[in-house]
Amino acid sequence: MDNFEKHIRENTAQFDEHKANRDKLWANISEELHKPKTKVIPLWKRPLLRIAASVAVVLGIATMGFLLVPRTTMENQFVSEELLEIDMHYQSLVSYQVQLVQDNPNLSEMDKQEFLSFMDELDAEYETLRKEMRKNLDNERVLEAIVANYKKRIELIENLLRQINDAKKPDEDYGYTL
Amino acid sequence: METDIRFTHQTLVEQCKTGNPSSQYELYSLYVDAMFNVGLRFLGNKEDAEDVVQDSFVDAFKKLHSFKYESSFGAWLKRIVINKSINYLKTKRVAIVPMEAHEFHLADEEPIEADAVDLQKVKMGIAKLPNGYKQIINLYLIEGYDHVEIGEILGVSTSTSKSQYHRAKKKLLEIISEL
Repeated sequence: MDNFEKHIRENTAQFDEHKANRDKLWANISEELHKPKTKVIPLWKRPLLRIAASVAVVLGIATMGFLLVPRTTMENQFVSEELLEIDMHYQSLVSYQVQLVQDNPNLSEMDKQEFLSFMDELDAEYETLRKEMRKNLDNERVLEAIVANYKKRIELIENLLRQINDAKKPDEDYGYTL
Repeated sequence: METDIRFTHQTLVEQCKTGNPSSQYELYSLYVDAMFNVGLRFLGNKEDAEDVVQDSFVDAFKKLHSFKYESSFGAWLKRIVINKSINYLKTKRVAIVPMEAHEFHLADEEPIEADAVDLQKVKMGIAKLPNGYKQIINLYLIEGYDHVEIGEILGVSTSTSKSQYHRAKKKLLEIISEL
């Protein structure tokens, strides 16, 4: 360090030549420092508010409990509304088509029997899937299996109906072909 | 007795840690002028300096529990003021280190020896320095930091701090000689 530097460093006090506006600055500082205190702390110090807060918390927990209990049992049956909707959609579709098949006069009693036994098998499979779903709620594979089950039924019914219609056609067309 | 400086105003600081307003005001009164001058040297105008000093005291009182007498309270507080000032300059995009590439500073490494100069002239010289030079001269000559500390404050390497200081000092001497 040379004399130039030493001289400055030894006399740095002389560089502090300005005076701050103490009162103005302090007013701002103390305002800033006491902002959160005046707003938050007195609230907790009042015994009445404490009691009110405790009551509110207890009530809140109680209502939460009441609201949550039935909801969880609902959730045991259906994971979500969406699933419920899918389930209902397919169920109505299947029952409608089963009705169609049973009402169809062109089917022999044996065909109907065979078809219905198939349907009963799928019904049994569906029941086990539902039980499985109750055990593990969020299992996507079980849900997919349920949907696949329904799709299979519909496919089965559609096949049957197509067979019936195909069987009818040659008879109707017969007179025109030759 | 050198370690004692760290415990200057210890009882007062401890009282402030409990949030006692009159102790806070007492501690504030002891340091506000010094801190205002620090801010003024870095920022160059009264309004910005007041803002930064105000902010620094608020922060210091709020974070006082983290002050563990590793330095004196004054040094701790000054560091807050300086960091805030540097940040302020950064947000205003004022150069805090000269723009020249820091790597190519081999030529003017040689330290310049100079004699003591009238402090009034030094003040005028510093006032005329370009922005990037002013900060490093302040930090080294007036605030009394070493190059390791300056490196930390400005976010540059120690060697960059050294070379930039030498350059700034050369410039300052030039300006002073022309006064």
